[in-house]
Amino acid sequence: MTSTLEDLRMINARCIHCRACQYAYSGEPDREGQTEEYTGMIQGCPAGLYYGWEGYFNSGKQWIARAFLNNEIKPSKELLEVVEACTTCGNCETQCENRIDTVSVTEALRAAIIEAGIEPLAKHKKFGEMVGNDLLRNPYNEPREKRTDWFAGAKDRKDVKVAYFVGCTGAYRQQHIAKHTASLLKKLGIDFTVLTSEVCCGSPMLRTGQKAIFEDVMRKNIELFKNYETVVFSCAGCFKTFRNDYPRISGKPLPFKVQHTMELVRDNIRSGKLKITKPYSKTVTWHDPCHSIRHVGIAIEKDILSRSNNWLTDARTAEKAKEAWFELPREVMKAIPALQLKEMYRVKGDSFCCGAGGGVKAQFPDMALATAKERLKEAASTGAQVLLTSCPFCVTNLSDGIKALKEEEALSHKKLPGSDLEVVELLQLLDQLI
Amino acid sequence: MYNKVTDDVVKKLVAICGEKYVTTSEPLRHSYMARGIMGLEAVLPEAIIRPANADEVSRVLVMANEHLIPVTPAAGGLSGGFALPAIEPGGIYMDMTRMNGLEVDVENRVMVVEPGLKSGDAWRIFKTKYPEWAPPIPDGAPPAATVLGDAIERGFSLVTGVYGPQADMIMGLEVVLPTGDVLRTGSWAVPGAKPFYRWGPGPNPDGLFLGSQGSMGIITKAAIKIVPHPHFKTVVAYGGESFEDIVKPTWEVSKHELGIADRCVMVQGGNWQLVLTRWPKTNVPLDYEFYKKMGMSEYWMNYEIWAWSQEELDFTLKKIDEIYKAYEVKANTKCPQQYLHPKQIASRLKKPNKIAIPYALWEAGFLFITWYCPWLESANMMEQYCAKMEEYGFPPTMWVASIDHGRQAIVMPIVCFDSTKPGIYDKIREFNLETTKSFLKQGWLNYRPDPFVHAPETFSLAKDYYKMLVKFRKVLDPNLILHPGRLAIPWEAVTKLPNPCGEPKASESKVSKPTKPQVKK
Ligand SMILES: Cc1cc2nc3c(=O)[nH]c(=O)nc-3n(C[C@H](O)[C@H](O)[C@H](O)COP(=O)(O)OP(=O)(O)OC[C@H]3O[C@@H](n4cnc5c(N)ncnc54)[C@H](O)[C@@H]3O)c2cc1C
Ligand code: SF4
Ligand code: SF4
Repeated sequence: MTSTLEDLRMINARCIHCRACQYAYSGEPDREGQTEEYTGMIQGCPAGLYYGWEGYFNSGKQWIARAFLNNEIKPSKELLEVVEACTTCGNCETQCENRIDTVSVTEALRAAIIEAGIEPLAKHKKFGEMVGNDLLRNPYNEPREKRTDWFAGAKDRKDVKVAYFVGCTGAYRQQHIAKHTASLLKKLGIDFTVLTSEVCCGSPMLRTGQKAIFEDVMRKNIELFKNYETVVFSCAGCFKTFRNDYPRISGKPLPFKVQHTMELVRDNIRSGKLKITKPYSKTVTWHDPCHSIRHVGIAIEKDILSRSNNWLTDARTAEKAKEAWFELPREVMKAIPALQLKEMYRVKGDSFCCGAGGGVKAQFPDMALATAKERLKEAASTGAQVLLTSCPFCVTNLSDGIKALKEEEALSHKKLPGSDLEVVELLQLLDQLI
Repeated sequence: MYNKVTDDVVKKLVAICGEKYVTTSEPLRHSYMARGIMGLEAVLPEAIIRPANADEVSRVLVMANEHLIPVTPAAGGLSGGFALPAIEPGGIYMDMTRMNGLEVDVENRVMVVEPGLKSGDAWRIFKTKYPEWAPPIPDGAPPAATVLGDAIERGFSLVTGVYGPQADMIMGLEVVLPTGDVLRTGSWAVPGAKPFYRWGPGPNPDGLFLGSQGSMGIITKAAIKIVPHPHFKTVVAYGGESFEDIVKPTWEVSKHELGIADRCVMVQGGNWQLVLTRWPKTNVPLDYEFYKKMGMSEYWMNYEIWAWSQEELDFTLKKIDEIYKAYEVKANTKCPQQYLHPKQIASRLKKPNKIAIPYALWEAGFLFITWYCPWLESANMMEQYCAKMEEYGFPPTMWVASIDHGRQAIVMPIVCFDSTKPGIYDKIREFNLETTKSFLKQGWLNYRPDPFVHAPETFSLAKDYYKMLVKFRKVLDPNLILHPGRLAIPWEAVTKLPNPCGEPKASESKVSKPTKPQVKK
C-alpha cells in the first residue's frame, strides 16, 4: 500500500530532474511522423505547456514534493494551486526511466497539503461537499434517488453475476452513454443489473487530494458490489479508479473482477461470438483516454514487475503486456467494417491528454480548453472527420474545444484546425452498429 | 557579501522581462531544485526569470550589478546542482529556455544555437530538414539537455571520439558580459562576418566562457560545427579481463587517427556494474555469474562506427577485430567480441537517449563525477576509483570514453546512492575529497569541478592559474555577481583552505558598496 506522500518518499527520491517527463516520445528521437511538427520527441505535458514554468511540469513537481517531504516548503494555497494545475494524465509516468509513480506522488502531495490544513481549491471543495453528502453522493448536485432513473431494467438484482457501475456522469449528465452501454451489454448477452445505492467512485476526490471522502466512497462501493462476480464500466475514470486505485489505497485486492465494456466487446470479437456487419464509412482518429488506456497499461506493467525479482529479464515481458493493453480499442475499431483509422502522432502511452482530468476542467478551465485545442489540432492533422474516444470527460472537453474553435472562427473569419471534427463515443457507436 | 532580492529588484525584473516571465513563488522556486547528476550542493534561488533575448539578459545583469545580486544562468538544467546557485543568497535564476533558436548553414557546416535549444529538438529538426548532417548533441544526455549547455560544460558529444570535447566544436560565441556588454568572438566579432573562423581577429577569449559553468558571462548564441551524418552505422563491443584490456586495444585502434579511427565516432566502455546498477538492487541478480552466463565480459568497450558505405563499415569492423586478435596474443588475455542483439545496437545508436537515467533505480539518486586523464592512464584511474567506491560502500560502476582518438579519457564513476539516507551527502563528499586529493597528485583533472571539492582542491595546487582566473574574472565581472561560488570564486564562499591569491584585504572580503561597472546603456 503506497498511498501517503511519506510512503512514496523513496520513490520520489529517485527523481534526478532529467526532465524527460516533459515530452512525449522522450526516448524516441528518431520516431517518424507525417510532419516536422509531429516528429521525434515533442511536448507532452499539458500543464507545463500551458504555464511554462518548471513547477507545472512533473519534473518540477517531484522537487516540490521533495521539498515538502523535507519540510523545506510550507503548505499554502499558492503551493496547492501549482500542484493542482495538472490533469494527472500520466504522460510523465510513461517517460520516466526511474519508474517513478509520478501521478501517485502528485495526488499524495495534494492530499498532504490539504491534510496539513489548507482548504481544497474552491471548485474542488464543492465537489467534495457534494460527494460527501449522503443525499447526493455525486459532484453534480443531483439527488441521490434519481441516480438510476435512466435505467428501465430491473435494478438491484441479486440473482446476476454482473453489475454495471454507471458513474456520476453516465447517471446524470451523459445518460445516453449509460443507455447505449446497457443496450450493448444486453446485445452481448450479459445479464446484469445496476445498483440504486451506487455512489461516486471517488475519482475527483482522490485526484484533488480529498482523501478522506475518497476512502469513504471507496469503502461504500466495495461493500456494495462485493457479492458480484464482475463489475463492468463505461466510464474511463471510474474504471481506472476501481481497477488501480481501490486496491492500492485499501491495501486489499478487489473482491470482484473489473472490466471495461470495451474489453467485453473485444473478447466477443476475438472469440468469434460477435461480428460487426454494419459499416461505418468514415475516416476516424482515436483519442486514448488517459485513465482507461495509459494508466491501466502502466498498472499492468508495474504489476508484473512488482512480482519479479529480475527486472533485467522481465522488463520486456512487462512492457509487452502494457503494449497489448494499448491495442484494445484498436482491435475493436479494426472489427468495424469501412472504418478508416488514421492515428494521431501522440498515441497510447505517449498520448496527449484532452485537458479535463485531475480536477482541471472545473478549477482551471482555460488550461483545459487550451489543452483540448492542442489535441484537436493534432487530430485534424490526420485528416479525419471523426474523433473517436471512450470517456465522458474527454467527450465533453474535446466538444467544448470544438465549440471554442468555432467561436474563434466566427470572430477571426479564419479557419482553425479541428473545428470541423465530430466527437463520437466508441461505446455509443458500437451500440448503433451492433 | 551579496544582497538579497528585494521587492524593488523584482519590480525592475518585471519591467525588463514582463510580469509573465518573473516569479518569486516559493513552490516555483523549489521546482528548479536538483541535488545530483553533477552537483549535490545547491541553494534556492530567490527569483526566477525567463528572458526573451540578449537585450533583456543584458539589462538584468546591469540591474543586478547595481544591486549586487547574484545571477545564475541555466539552460536545460541537466547538470543538476551545477545549474543552480551554489551559495547563499540564491539571487536571480535565469532560465534561458525561451531563447531556443536554431539556424543551420550547411555550406559553412555550422549552426547557430541559442541556449534553450534542446538536444531532442535539434535532433528532430536535423532529421527532417538536414538528414545528411548531425548536430553534436551530448551522447548520453537525455533529450532535454541543450546543445549549448553541453558545450559550456565542455561535455562529450556523440562524435567526441573523433572531434574532441564539445567545446572544441565552437566557432564563435555571443556573450553578454556580467557588466551588460555584448561580446562576439571569432570571425563573428566583425559585424556582418560569418562564424567561419574560431580564432577571430586576435587572441580568442572563448576559453574563458567554456568551462566557466556560467560564471564569466552569459552566452546567448553559439556557432557550433555540424558534422556529416553518414547512414551506415553500427556498434561493436569487445570484452576483457581487466580495465587494461579495454583501454590498450582502444589505443591501438585510435592512435593512427586517420582511417578506421576516424570512423569510430564514439568509443565508450566500462564494467559489468554499468548494467547491474540500472536496476533496483532488490530486483536484479547481484552476482556476476548471472551476467557471465549471458555472455557479458566483466569489462568491455563499445565502438560506434559511422561509414559512407557497407564496404567501409565492414572494413572498419574487420580491422578492429584484427587489432583485438593481435592484442589478445600480445597480452596473453581474452577479449571476446560481445554479442549485441540488434535491439541493443539500435538503442545504442539512438540519440539523444535515456540510457543513463535509470541509475537512480538502484537505490534513489546518483552522481556522475567526470575526470580527464591521458588515455593510457585511465585503466589505473578506474582501478583506483573502483577500489575506493567499494571501500565507501558504493557499487563500483565505472564508465570511460575516448576523447579525440584516445588522446584523453573521460573517466566517470556513477555513484549510486540512497538520497533519503541521513548523512549520505557527507559521505559522498568525503569520498569525493579523498579521491580528488589523490588523483590531483597523479596529474589528473576534474573538468566539471564541483565548487566545494574539486575547484578548491585543484586551485590550491594550481595557484598561479587561479590568480590569473580571478584577474580575468574581475575584469569581466567586477562585482562577482555571476554564478558565485563556481570555480571557487569568491574563494571564501566555498572553502576554508588558504586562498591561493593570499589573504583577502578586509576591504575585499566584504563588498559593501558595489563597484559601479562600465555598463552598457
Ligand atoms: C542522465 C544524464 C546523462 C548525461 N550524459 C551526458 C553525456 O553523454 N555527455 C555530456 O557531455 N553530458 C552528459 N550529461 C550531463 C548534462 O546533461 C550535460 O552537461 C548537459 O548537456 C548540460 O546541458 P544543460 O542544457 O542541461 O545545461 P545546464 O545544466 O542548464 O547548464 C550547464 C552549466 O552551464 C551554465 N549555463 C547554462 N546556460 C548558460 C548560458 N547561457 N551562459 C552561461 N552559462 C550557462 C549553468 O549555470 C551550468 O553551470 C548527462 C546528464 C544526465 C542527467
Ligand atoms: S520524474 Fe523521472 S523523467 Fe521526470 S525528471 Fe524525475 S527522473 Fe526524470
Ligand atoms: S500528469 Fe500530465 S499534466 Fe500532470 S505533470 Fe504529468 S504530464 Fe503534466
